[in-house]
Amino acid sequence: MADTGRRLLIIERAYRGSVETQFADVLYFVRELNRQQGGMDILLRGLAVTFAAAHPAPVPALRIAGRRLDTLPDPRETIRTLVSEGAGVWAQDSALAEFETGPDWLQKGVRRASDATFPDWAGYLSVHFL
Amino acid sequence: MDTAKSRELPRADVLIAIMGAPHTGDLVTSAFRLTQALLERGASVHLWTCGNATRLTQLSLGDDKPRNFVDWARAYPTTATLATELLSTFPTTLHWFACRFCSQERGADAHVPGIKLRPPFKFTDHLEATDKSFFLGVC
Repeated sequence: MADTGRRLLIIERAYRGSVETQFADVLYFVRELNRQQGGMDILLRGLAVTFAAAHPAPVPALRIAGRRLDTLPDPRETIRTLVSEGAGVWAQDSALAEFETGPDWLQKGVRRASDATFPDWAGYLSVHFL
Repeated sequence: MDTAKSRELPRADVLIAIMGAPHTGDLVTSAFRLTQALLERGASVHLWTCGNATRLTQLSLGDDKPRNFVDWARAYPTTATLATELLSTFPTTLHWFACRFCSQERGADAHVPGIKLRPPFKFTDHLEATDKSFFLGVC
């Protein structure tokens, strides 16, 4: 069993608040863990695979009272940043099948996880469900 | 912090009861969007928070969220700030009530000014004071 020397983070629950969460979403925490631990792999499952969609989501902004609140979570952008910062990102293909509309749907650099190809839990220092 | 006590409740077009907890889904965002849309169109709105939603307007939240490590200089308003701004922007058409029991149960009954604490057994008065009621989530 290859030892990756890395930790695996599994995210299944997506979209846990927006107005109240803003920058401090689950991927914010992942980004800091990746920086401190020198390498993280992330497995997106369920609705969380939409974090890895290539096409930018509509700019997340709301008007509340007289303010334009434009500091809402932007998970697609954060996944792009995580990939550029060396995190490994996987997306479960059974969940992708629910959303994927074409060959360019998934962000470049995000790998598909399936029954045949998947992050091998035993090769990680630890596995965390976030 | 006001207490409505036995004062007559103002009437409103819509009651939005935020029963579900923040940080679990789109519920709180939907509540803010719905409230804003109604108020902009001239409707009158009552908000009622129960359970962990009573934390949305805590005085202890302050004006801004804690610092963002990767964007240190940027300010992020708390939900308490957003509530205060909504109340000052729509001073006659928005009323925001928080359940006293849920607030006290969480040691969280110090709300920002403008939030009125109400006992849970008065909730039916609030249902009767509005033409339509929306329940968002469960406690």
